[in-house]
Amino acid sequence: MTRADRHRSSGMRGLELALLALPVAALPHAWHQPPWVTLLVATAILLRTWLHLRDHQPPSIGWMALLAAFAGGLTFFQFGTLFGQEAGTALLLVMMALKLLETRNRRDIVIGLFLGYFVVVTTYFFDQSLLIAAWSLLSAWLLTAALVQVHAGRTLERRRLARQSGWMIVHALPFMLILFVAFPRVQGPLWGDPQRDDVATTALSGELNPGDIAELLQDQTTAMRVQFRDTVPPPRAQYWRALVMTDFDGRRWQAEGGGSSIELPQAEDSDNVVAYTATLEPTRVRYLPVLDYPVALPDNAEYRDNHQVVRDRRIVSRIQYDAEADLTRPPGAAESLSSAARERALRLPPSAAPQARAEVALWRATHGDDERAIIQAALDRFAAAPYRYTLQPPTLRGDVTDQFLFETQAGYCEHYASAFAVLMRSAGIPTRVVTGYQGGEWMPRGEYLRLRNADAHAWNEVWLDGEGWIRVDPTAAIAPERIEAGIAGLTGGAGEAMPDFLRRDGLGWMQQLRFGLEDWRDFARFRWESWVLAFDPERQRELFARFGLDATDWRDIVTALGAGFGLLSLMALGWALWRRPRRHRDAADRLLQRLSRRIEQQQTGLGRRAHEPVVIWTRRVKAARPDLASVVEAFAEHYNQARFAPGQREDRSWHLAELRRLAARSSVRKPRAASPVTQTTA
Amino acid sequence: MRAGSVARRERLRSQGHRLREGVIRWVTRRHREDGQQATLGRDRIYILPTRAGYTLLAILGVMLLGAINYSNNMAFLLTFLLAGIGHNAIWYTHRNLLGLKVSALPVSPVFAGQPTQISLRLDDTRDRDREALHLSIGGYTSEPVTVPARGQQTVRLTLPPVGRGAYRLSRQRLDTRYPLGILKAWTWLGLDTEILVYPQPVDPLSAHGGIGDASSAQRRQDASTPDHIRPYRPGDPPGRILWKALARTGKLHIRETAAGGRDTLWIDWSAMPASDTETRLSMLCHQILAADSEGRTWGLRLPDKTLPPGQGPAHRERSLRALAEFRFEPIALPITKPSRGTGA
Repeated sequence: MTRADRHRSSGMRGLELALLALPVAALPHAWHQPPWVTLLVATAILLRTWLHLRDHQPPSIGWMALLAAFAGGLTFFQFGTLFGQEAGTALLLVMMALKLLETRNRRDIVIGLFLGYFVVVTTYFFDQSLLIAAWSLLSAWLLTAALVQVHAGRTLERRRLARQSGWMIVHALPFMLILFVAFPRVQGPLWGDPQRDDVATTALSGELNPGDIAELLQDQTTAMRVQFRDTVPPPRAQYWRALVMTDFDGRRWQAEGGGSSIELPQAEDSDNVVAYTATLEPTRVRYLPVLDYPVALPDNAEYRDNHQVVRDRRIVSRIQYDAEADLTRPPGAAESLSSAARERALRLPPSAAPQARAEVALWRATHGDDERAIIQAALDRFAAAPYRYTLQPPTLRGDVTDQFLFETQAGYCEHYASAFAVLMRSAGIPTRVVTGYQGGEWMPRGEYLRLRNADAHAWNEVWLDGEGWIRVDPTAAIAPERIEAGIAGLTGGAGEAMPDFLRRDGLGWMQQLRFGLEDWRDFARFRWESWVLAFDPERQRELFARFGLDATDWRDIVTALGAGFGLLSLMALGWALWRRPRRHRDAADRLLQRLSRRIEQQQTGLGRRAHEPVVIWTRRVKAARPDLASVVEAFAEHYNQARFAPGQREDRSWHLAELRRLAARSSVRKPRAASPVTQTTA
Repeated sequence: MRAGSVARRERLRSQGHRLREGVIRWVTRRHREDGQQATLGRDRIYILPTRAGYTLLAILGVMLLGAINYSNNMAFLLTFLLAGIGHNAIWYTHRNLLGLKVSALPVSPVFAGQPTQISLRLDDTRDRDREALHLSIGGYTSEPVTVPARGQQTVRLTLPPVGRGAYRLSRQRLDTRYPLGILKAWTWLGLDTEILVYPQPVDPLSAHGGIGDASSAQRRQDASTPDHIRPYRPGDPPGRILWKALARTGKLHIRETAAGGRDTLWIDWSAMPASDTETRLSMLCHQILAADSEGRTWGLRLPDKTLPPGQGPAHRERSLRALAEFRFEPIALPITKPSRGTGA
């Protein structure tokens, strides 16, 4: 065996562990990568394992170059580029697998493992869940263990490796936390647009098209979570306003764009003010859902004259914001409606809904100018059978309003809101459609409200002179339980299939248990998302401000980092001091030290030296101090018995008691009268 | 041309070597003399990143940029976790050396042309395992060794053969990259170790066709002298035990040559049939070994030194040492630095 061979084999000790750690690190990508990438990575790893077990050499450089070119070409063919999140990740995975395949020496393994860390970090492009976080810890643990094995001069026991790597991660956690909180954050992106796609991911789009998007209400993913500071408003008041739609073309409602910023109304009565913190999932649009009616907003959001709340930039990552609402003060209460705005809120396509108009004419004849009576008439019409609330309404053809009102008579919030608005406008009452969220699920574990995309809702606001835009929810007329208990409170009526996740009626113990589990799971998810994932430059600024620091001032950042690391050093020091006494945990040893210390006090230099055997020391003491001979001799005997004799436990404790007695003898405790030095110090 | 560039490179390298030696001397100027053993304290352990360490640093930099660009908090977390592990590796690596006691073990003398084996004993005094420790001396590096907690281990390093002489061991370096290989901690040791290289024995008779001189004549005469048998006494050289007699009588007897008992053999520098110093020393060495194996009493006469007659292993060592030290200014081993070795 040549020197080079030996070198190689000693460096290759970590290969087995690397062959385990790298697939573990790459596994989460299997859900997001094209199948050929997964297949290629798996094949390369299996092939390398086989070569290793058979003691074969890895493929030659020529083969590897060919493979790399092939894999690069395949990636380019698939994505049309080699850069960006998707293509870059695929390329990284493939190159990691090929690097592993061609591994010949220690350096190759180390590079493969470093790439492994990179593979872990790219997972977060696709998934940032708590599960992925746990999986990352597992991956980092294995990768680090492999790195340790590569650099150990021998094959380490599995337990030793596991402990070593585990402690390294545990020791790094405080470091990580300090940097995470105090490292200066800037608002990305630094280059390019980091968005994978520009499709709005919110349930609330800028259009409302009755009958089009029923599947939205099947989407149980979380849209936002809300923690209330003091009081939780009753469900009937939990309307989360997002978009206001005024323009109707006979079939479709469109959200008002633009608008100019206006002053936020002030709360009239602080008893009605609800303060809350919302954690919003990324929507990739700019509006913020806020509780009706907003009286305080985050700094980077503004209130528009169309009564929508708009943020200064698109919400591309999970954000948190604090806001307040006055439950009783509708927008525009103190104003009058401009004629242009009134005209806009009354506009209907001339040909739209002739049947509805005829009906409204009757109401007008009955109630005259009494707008409230006309509104009530419309609601009464909905409340009366045979209107029903269903998430699977028939598709509407022709004039959507008339067909819904007079033929199908089945639908959900959008149908009712749209039809109600048409009726009101025909009656000359300015009306608009508002979309947002309503209801939600109270999560007792974390005491927060969870709003899913399925909680998306549409309602109306009608203009009443002197009162402002008053909320009217026609869905409440047909399905009051939708409003009181949320969408999950609906029974679905007449044997209609409700999605399972929406059912909350007549919960058996099974469902109770499932809800309990879901409560915990969502609580963990929420904490993870609100504490970790939603931490951004703004949250950092707030956190710093709580300690009287300014996160935009580098001196304050240095202060915070210094304080963090100072605290960490103190903790490390404390730990080191706490560990120190454990060196002398043996009771006999401790007594030996005590005796030695006392003798040393009596006569300097007579104490036992650190590596002096007890027998030798005894001899030395006897020679220097014949008066202590009997004590040290007896002590040495009992010491040897207590420490090295394989006797019973009772024997041992007897020996220890003797040791204690001997160490406490007055002859060794009292300073010797003959020595003037010790006399003065005594 | 070529020769010129080689010479220039050679000069540059030697300048670099001098510079590095100067730096090391400056750094280690406050170290105490080590003597036979040294315990590694904080004041003499040095640590710097390795190339892998800089690579990891670059990777972490890229991860951090990515985390900022994509506002990805989990990427921040992982980057900072790895940075924490890397940072703590300073401590782990440093700790792998801290408190280690290093003792020089005596080096067995060798004859010229044989490799020298250097051994240092490593003792743990802090109750923890020490992994992957390498000893390097002048560009030669040992296999990694592990010192168990509260235990000891010997690290061995074989140096290539050198010519006759009495050398001292040049500066030793003990280093480790455990656990992550991203940092290297090392210490320079100046353990005081003597390496004796005896001359390669050369038989004056076979070497020069038996020129008649005093020594060889004497030897021939010795060989022809009748042997005396006497009972074994403790201290007699085992080479002269009569094994056949033992089988016959059950008692140990030894053969006593006539000369051995009676007169002293003088092994004399001036009597060696060679002109150059090294050959003469080789011949003297052979004479000493022959005299020793025959159990004779001999004295050694060198131009600047005379050893009175004696016998036995101690006398043998003394005589051979006199040869090794003869007109030899002590220099440090290893002499030649292999080009790949980076020394310190």
